Amino acid sequence: MTNDPWLRALLEGAAVVTALMTAVAWITWLERKIAGRIQSRLGPTMVGPFGLLQPLADAVKSMQKESIVPRDADALLFWLAPPLTLALALGTAAVIPFSPGLLASDVDIGVLYALALSGLLSFPIWIAGWASNNKYSLLGGMRMVAQGISYEIPMVLSALVPVVLAGTLSMGGVVRHQAEHGWFVVSAPGVGFVAFLVFLLTALAEGNRIPFDIPEAESELVAGPTTEYTAIQWSLFAAAEYAHSLLASAIAATLFLGGWDGPVLPPAVWMVLKTGALFLLITWLRWSLLRLRSDQLMSLCWKLLVPLTLLLLLGAGTWVTLAT
Amino acid sequence: MAVSGSVASTGAGPRTRAPVPDPHLDLERYEADADLMTLSLGPQHPSTHGVFRVVLYLDGETIVKAVPHAGYLHRGVEKLCEKLSYSNVVPILDKNDYVAPMLNEQAACMAFERLMGVEVPIRARWLRTLLAELQRIASHLLALGTFAIDLGGALGGGTSVFMYCFRERELILDLFEELTGCRFHYNTHCIGGNRHDVPPGWPELVRAALATIEARFDAYLAMLEHPIFADRTRGVGTIDAGLALELGLSGPNLRASGVDHDLRRDAPYHVYDLLEVRVATDSGGDCWSRYKVRVDEIRESLRLVRLLLDDLPAGPLSSTKPLGVVSQFKATTGQVYVGIESPRGELGTWVIADARKATSPYRMKLRPPSLHAVAAIPYVLPGHTLSDAIAILGSLDPIMGEVDR
Amino acid sequence: MGYVFATFQSLLATLRQGLATPSTVEYPKAKRPRAPRLRASFALTKDAQGDENCIGCKKCEKVCPSEVIAVVASKKPSPVTGKPRAYATDFTLNLQACIVCELCVQVCPTDAIVMVQEQEGPGFDRGDLVLTMEKLYRNGESKERLAWSSASVLGEHQKPAEAPAPAQRPAHAPVPVPAASAEPPGKEPAA
Repeated sequence: MTNDPWLRALLEGAAVVTALMTAVAWITWLERKIAGRIQSRLGPTMVGPFGLLQPLADAVKSMQKESIVPRDADALLFWLAPPLTLALALGTAAVIPFSPGLLASDVDIGVLYALALSGLLSFPIWIAGWASNNKYSLLGGMRMVAQGISYEIPMVLSALVPVVLAGTLSMGGVVRHQAEHGWFVVSAPGVGFVAFLVFLLTALAEGNRIPFDIPEAESELVAGPTTEYTAIQWSLFAAAEYAHSLLASAIAATLFLGGWDGPVLPPAVWMVLKTGALFLLITWLRWSLLRLRSDQLMSLCWKLLVPLTLLLLLGAGTWVTLAT
Repeated sequence: MAVSGSVASTGAGPRTRAPVPDPHLDLERYEADADLMTLSLGPQHPSTHGVFRVVLYLDGETIVKAVPHAGYLHRGVEKLCEKLSYSNVVPILDKNDYVAPMLNEQAACMAFERLMGVEVPIRARWLRTLLAELQRIASHLLALGTFAIDLGGALGGGTSVFMYCFRERELILDLFEELTGCRFHYNTHCIGGNRHDVPPGWPELVRAALATIEARFDAYLAMLEHPIFADRTRGVGTIDAGLALELGLSGPNLRASGVDHDLRRDAPYHVYDLLEVRVATDSGGDCWSRYKVRVDEIRESLRLVRLLLDDLPAGPLSSTKPLGVVSQFKATTGQVYVGIESPRGELGTWVIADARKATSPYRMKLRPPSLHAVAAIPYVLPGHTLSDAIAILGSLDPIMGEVDR
Repeated sequence: MGYVFATFQSLLATLRQGLATPSTVEYPKAKRPRAPRLRASFALTKDAQGDENCIGCKKCEKVCPSEVIAVVASKKPSPVTGKPRAYATDFTLNLQACIVCELCVQVCPTDAIVMVQEQEGPGFDRGDLVLTMEKLYRNGESKERLAWSSASVLGEHQKPAEAPAPAQRPAHAPVPVPAASAEPPGKEPAA
């Protein structure tokens, strides 16, 4: 196509972002449909066949609405927070290997990069809470920071288990290792599976999903940090939330479920299937569980998950030493 | 704080009262550093169960002091009753406790009947008991559903439970629609009896609805009783028996504090004296106990409705002539208080008649149980976090329509 | 791990609900059956000869708790029989404040005002929610929309007993307590 590496990177990035945003639009439809059926309702039915065009209708609606900035809000930060959130959520996509050839950038520290970006994610949400100049938003932002500190450590530690097992920080390297030696969720006895569960739990906390949607907590904080947001800015937050859940599922599939590895079907299809299955599980959990309290999440993270993941890391190291 | 004479005076034996904590004391300790955030929870907050406002003084997320502000839904119903004739008061009261309108009608009708010395035929009393118990199921289902939403959020498992509860409540409202033609403004009671007789086939519809509710109830109760639910409710918002009696709490909120008091059994009306009402109590006094008592009461009401359906007696439905003119019912003297067990507690009606205007009450005072539940807020909330405050509000199940009247 | 087990239980519960038939319907395409007694709106009826039943006695206007009914009555010769009798020359019912309590239907001596099962359609200004005399008579023309209740049907339901038997005395004996010796609220009045 072109030999200019910058242009090539730009085009690839645009393609990945477009594909992701399209996926995000239709997983909102999927989630609403699932929620509807779980709650003995029909879900969206009116726009298009089976309500399939509902995301388009929602997008048009949110774009033509008026964006309101509260008078006493910090306007610059208020405008900055939604796009920043979405950018950080989408940035993770750069290192996710969809197939051996389809990978935006196979950096050597891919796992570290993905974890660092998701660690940053609590900042724009806190900025939104602060800039709105609303007490509910502020409480939500503060809860986000408190929650971020709590879940980040077990998340990183559990993500380090496959890194130790594979001996590489590169996402592609982790998948290649699993393709040769079996998926980590089953191969390392017990250790991989428990680490997978812990990673999934912390991913729920990171994506503000029930049972850990404590910063948003509609019944307590109205809408948490996004209380004052309207129109397209609010939609950016919503899109970021879904993109994040989707990408967290993709990372979990990459690190623990063997990524693109699988028989018969082409690699990209396996990756999409695994990601989709994990996202379905997250959605299903969301509509089946109640919310924990802030201090309960923190005691869960600090008192249970941190020691547990440290033990897992020790177990993974022992396993690697014994295996070689 | 208002103390209900009736709650304190009935029940078994004298009780020792724990000293009631003063909700205002704690603030003085904090005023020195004045580092509190005031948060106005409501009146447009999604979880205040109506138009209700609590001003919270927060230290971090811990509540130091809570000041409830009621009155946003004040409609002057008691004053309106003084203007309307006796027969017209009954439909107006439907909107008081808008989750259990049947009980409002019954309370007013019973008060007027006792004031005028009107007797109610057995069939009407039987039907009233049946409707009251059906309404109790519907009301408790709504309380459970909104409580789940408070704990699980509008976008989560709480909403699922809420939807299931509403689906079942819908079945009961359908039954009322079949009987009275309305889902909310029933106006099916009149002074001296009931206005709508049971349509043919209605008992079978009731049985079918009860069977459906019973079959589905346990399924999502298991879902609600997840350890997370226990974590969120056990030991949260504890009201001990002494405080509950001091505040005049009644109904499930009182019984959850270990006080075995139920007007259906202790001061029977309608045909409750013929039934054996098993009163559900729990000793915890926390959100979990209040939830548990409501669940047990739904089960008990399901049982009672079945019993009542089995032998609905024949006979006239009303002892008075059908309403012909506005001034048909008159009372020239006397005053009467009637307390009945609504789903939220003792729903009292006090009517004073006067010869100067015999066709309408001289004064009508309502004793809504929710008002006393709301009065517990400043005593219970301090020391809990904001999340717990929502859970406590939901478990007290106040209905603002009857708090503000 | 009770949490893990209970979580699986919750997932199973929601799965079972999700696989069951939804309990809602797509409203404009499918409608749930209406109860025969459903009260939604009002109609004025005519008798078999096409003469208006309403005699303009204003009982409904007086009984209405929300005071939404306004009747203007006068005497004029009947268009059917030619004999002079009382008619309502104007009859309006303001649905905006109506609480559908059915008392106007109940007191009507000639079964003139009845309930209609079908709700009024949406309006674009407040005046659309006022049922004028023409609208009320138009509602009364389609018989299948008429709800079940009329004054005579309701009266049939409440026909009082000839003489209540002593065994049927309520447990709470009705006692009008004189104001001077009234007991405090909550006490059962001494029978």
